[in-house]
Amino acid sequence: MSNIKEFDCRPVSQEGAESPMAWTHQHHESRPAGQNPGVRIAEKAFLGHLILRGGAIVLDEAVRDILGIALPGRPNTMTQNDAGTHSVQWLGPDEWLVIVPGGEEAELETKLRKALGDAHFSIVNVSGGQTVLTLSGANVREVLMKSVVYDVHPSAFPVGKGVTTVFAKATTIIRRPAEDHWELVVRRSFADYTYRWLLDAAAEYGVTQERA
Amino acid sequence: MTQANRLAKGGRIDRKRPLTFTYNGTRYTGFEGDTLASALLANGVDIVNRSFKYSRPRGVVAAGAEEPNALVQLGSTESTQVPNVRATQQALYEGLVAKSTNGWPNVQRDLMGMVGKMGGGFMPPGFYYKTFMAPASMWMTYEKYIRKGAGLGRSPRENDPDTYDHLNQHCDVLIVGAGAAGLMSALSAGRSGVRVIVCDEQEEMGGALLDSRELIDGKPAARWVAEVLEELTQLDNVELLPRTTANGLHDHNFVTLHERRTEHVWDRATPINGRPQVRSRMHRVRAKRVILASGTHERPLVYANNDVPGNMVAGAVSTYIRRYGVVPGNTLVLTTTNDHAYRAALDWHEAGRKVAAIVDARKSPEGSLIDQARDLGIKIITGSAVIEGKGTNRVSGACVAEIDPQGFKVTGKVQDIECDTIASSGGYSPVVHLSSHTGTRPQWRDDVLGFVPGEVRGLTSAGSVTGTFDLKSVLENAAAAAEQALSDLGSLDSSKKIEVPKVDALKEGPSCELYQVPHTKDTLRAPKQFVDFQNDVTASAIDIATREGFESIEHVKRYTALGFGTDQGKLGNINGMAIAARILKRSIPGVGTTVFRPNYTPVTFGAIAGRHCRELFDPERYTAMHQWHVEHGAEFEDVGQWKRPWYFPKTVNGKKETMHEAVNRECLAVREKIGILDASTLGKIDIQGPDAREFLNRVYTNKWAKLAPGRVRYGLMCKDDGMLMDDGTTSCLGENHFLMTTTTGGAASVLEWLEVWHQTEWPELDVYFTSVTDHWATMTVTGPDARKLMEEVTTDLDLDRESFKFMDWKEGTVAGVPARIFRISFTGELAYEINIQANYAMKVWLELFDKGEKYGLTPYGTETMHVLRAEKGLIIAGQDTDGSVTPEDLGLQWAVGYDKPFEWIGKRALTRPDTSRKDRKQFVGLKPKDPSVVLEEGAQIVFDPNQSIPMTMVGHVTSSYYSAHLKHGIALAVVKGGHERMGQTVYMPMVDGTVHEAEIVSPVFLDPKWERQNV
Repeated sequence: MSNIKEFDCRPVSQEGAESPMAWTHQHHESRPAGQNPGVRIAEKAFLGHLILRGGAIVLDEAVRDILGIALPGRPNTMTQNDAGTHSVQWLGPDEWLVIVPGGEEAELETKLRKALGDAHFSIVNVSGGQTVLTLSGANVREVLMKSVVYDVHPSAFPVGKGVTTVFAKATTIIRRPAEDHWELVVRRSFADYTYRWLLDAAAEYGVTQERA
Repeated sequence: MTQANRLAKGGRIDRKRPLTFTYNGTRYTGFEGDTLASALLANGVDIVNRSFKYSRPRGVVAAGAEEPNALVQLGSTESTQVPNVRATQQALYEGLVAKSTNGWPNVQRDLMGMVGKMGGGFMPPGFYYKTFMAPASMWMTYEKYIRKGAGLGRSPRENDPDTYDHLNQHCDVLIVGAGAAGLMSALSAGRSGVRVIVCDEQEEMGGALLDSRELIDGKPAARWVAEVLEELTQLDNVELLPRTTANGLHDHNFVTLHERRTEHVWDRATPINGRPQVRSRMHRVRAKRVILASGTHERPLVYANNDVPGNMVAGAVSTYIRRYGVVPGNTLVLTTTNDHAYRAALDWHEAGRKVAAIVDARKSPEGSLIDQARDLGIKIITGSAVIEGKGTNRVSGACVAEIDPQGFKVTGKVQDIECDTIASSGGYSPVVHLSSHTGTRPQWRDDVLGFVPGEVRGLTSAGSVTGTFDLKSVLENAAAAAEQALSDLGSLDSSKKIEVPKVDALKEGPSCELYQVPHTKDTLRAPKQFVDFQNDVTASAIDIATREGFESIEHVKRYTALGFGTDQGKLGNINGMAIAARILKRSIPGVGTTVFRPNYTPVTFGAIAGRHCRELFDPERYTAMHQWHVEHGAEFEDVGQWKRPWYFPKTVNGKKETMHEAVNRECLAVREKIGILDASTLGKIDIQGPDAREFLNRVYTNKWAKLAPGRVRYGLMCKDDGMLMDDGTTSCLGENHFLMTTTTGGAASVLEWLEVWHQTEWPELDVYFTSVTDHWATMTVTGPDARKLMEEVTTDLDLDRESFKFMDWKEGTVAGVPARIFRISFTGELAYEINIQANYAMKVWLELFDKGEKYGLTPYGTETMHVLRAEKGLIIAGQDTDGSVTPEDLGLQWAVGYDKPFEWIGKRALTRPDTSRKDRKQFVGLKPKDPSVVLEEGAQIVFDPNQSIPMTMVGHVTSSYYSAHLKHGIALAVVKGGHERMGQTVYMPMVDGTVHEAEIVSPVFLDPKWERQNV
């Protein structure tokens, strides 16, 4: 849609950039995980996050052409490329979360706007407002069960599913991009709380932290 | 001490693993596999408590959750104290320390006992009721005394060192209880492949089968239990939760299970491999189907002195003998109404102790168990009952007489039989608690002589809780219940139908209906006949209650305290109802059914709180500059869930500034030089779409039609009642693109507000809203020197006052990072609000300080922000407004566009006569007459301080501060008709009798021509 002010807010130099986890990692010493930790937490920092709004019919072709992935066809699911670097997740009947490697978001927005022309849609860059945590290990499901009311049993939460749900007392997007790991997309301001909660909930299984 | 009552063999305890424990200061030994109660009985400890009201000695009565007496205070250290633990449910562990909860100064010699015996009327029935009635002031006196004497346990005085948590579970079938019925259902459901959870409150699964005499498929029942558990453990789709009590069944089959994970091991949760463990866990289960296999509680008979230690329910006697290898006495008299209880006598006999007599209330009982007893030569007295127990601290004999249960009278001669234990059984009450938690009333069945679960959606009852007591029928009934549940789920596979194991049916005769046993004296004169042991409710108390006119069982219950406390009507409820029914000459269901409420057994607060405590009690939201604030000594203020810097106290000459000193310094820095505020917490909403402008026109009171790209406007948002809801600036980014800001607290609710109006009222408008609050970090650089600093950190911006005017915004580069810069001001000074993608905000913030130091760049917090905006009369929605203030009340009529073409939210309400009344409370400034006075926020305002109390209050102070710049206190207030009262004096009478005086002035205390922000 025209008459929108695009703005690339990402500087050329990445020096001095801080992910939402920066304070947490400064502030909290990691506990020794012990042998065979049941949970591994890592951050996928500085990715490009776009919120895409519009009807599926309006957006699908452009997304397919430019990203090479189709919009997820069913609610609470996600699609991604083979490498897992680019993904689109259904958030609502007219709302999608697109995650791409950091730095690609502005160009992607421009291309999508061009392709979509005068259709009614919106694209908003939220890359500074959220980050991705990946969880893996034998006890991830137990940690999630402690944190969310949503059913995370494999029969109810297969690979490719993603939901926005209540996580402890915050809101988080939970998704399962692959058999061996889960992702949480957390809001910047809630990142510290969410992370501390995860460490506490995972403590009984042993937890290793990988820092960005 | 030796375990005098311990059998040489038998039971499920491990005699090779002795455990020492301390009870009331004495050390004892028990075995692995004991409960605290079985270990105490093994050691011959008769008295475990003093009763609540009469302080009578009490012993262990039961073996499970229904135990009313053996409540202990558990814990070896102060921080691990747990009150009111049932000794029958506490597994023994090495080093366990427990005390009885009742009995002051101790259980053996008791002062309260004297009171109870001497002044029998000290606490008559209805005691609480009557003391509450009059005089109310006496309650405090009574309460102190009762609490100390009654000793309901105490909470720890130190913080709990353990962690607790919640686990959200989902399953197809939740099976409550792992006795015969539960395990049979579990086997059936488990093999079908559906998701199954089985919970059981005991240490070991198996329920009554663990002490059963019967054979299943030709094997001892306990072996069948082991085999079933073995199979269930192998199934991935089945989760077994022992030591887990289903405490509450809520709507939509949401069931709360309390799992005690480490309480059988030690006082505290011991780390495993250095990893902290959870002491107890609340499973929050959403089950598609619940199978209730909770079994029964045996009813004791109500006879005189039935509370003397040595009186037990019959089934508990069997449990202690067969499961724990403990015979709790030497000579037994069994008084029963049914065949099943004969097991107690058979087990007692087999343990090598003497059964003095079985007293059966039935005239001519016939059945397999009765034949067995006869064959062993046990004396059976029929048509009779124990009408009174003898003894004080331990049973010394039983008075037995022929009775007429229907006529409620003793018909024969009373004979005394010497014994030290009386086991009684009046039948079996199904444990219907869970089935009635959602409001369903249990149903009385005359053939069962008990209440069975009523119809509850999604719940199927299985086994003895349905009133089916013999093992064969229990197993068949449970298999059918599982089949029903699977069929409801659409998961029934008839090819996988499982066979019910073979059990020889016992020949059993019918039971006889008997609750209170008649005595030779009438109820009021006979020795005490206890109905509810825990609350000391006797048959005569119920008699008195009915005589005083309490006819519904709910009233009787409240009058006498029947079924109160941790007991929740487990043991005494039916007996109490039956007695009331007999006296009132009604049927048992005729006096009503009581309602059971969660929780079935007490749950520790730790399990309820889970991990939502200490530093994880509530989310703390941080901005991108949080670390800097912490490192620079900021004091923080909670704004919603955000931690915002409140002020930044400096240390001057080794002394830390007070808040007042810091705020004065920060305020002067902004007015005289330059300050900086982290404003990242303000809500920010990106709005796109061809109808964005029209949408703004409808949600804001003012006009948006002509706001050009590059310009910013202040807007007011009202609710549909015309009262101010939120305010903020909205910038036009592009013709179809806006950035709205909201208050910090309003961020989420405003977004929701916009979505609600868009989705429900104006879906035809093409517009989308997206929150960008977290994406942008916002720093406000403000003060006369703000432009100097901006010139240093930007390279591509024309900062000239003409080309970058007040209420303009521009894109530019700040400290090498792309930024949106807004010339808006909440201080009344020259100000630039810089929005930076949050990942780069710290870098920019540091650069601003690097360059700003020479200008005296001063960080300021929310308190200084409040003072600065109050000096300018700028409102804070939620502080100066309270949902009853219109834009006009605030003097903001310039921001209301009544002539806008389309209706906007609040317009209709604002055109009512009430909203244009002249005497509405209107927003004004107050200047205290004494410049040193800072008025109290919330202080009530009057026009005449000399009027009599209650005075006519005409408004209140909404904001009040000391202004370092103006050198006097300033306040904002709402005053009736305030706009027309400029220059008048108002008064604020304070609690201490002083009366403050202030002049009504314009809320704009400083720079009324607004020149400073335009420099």
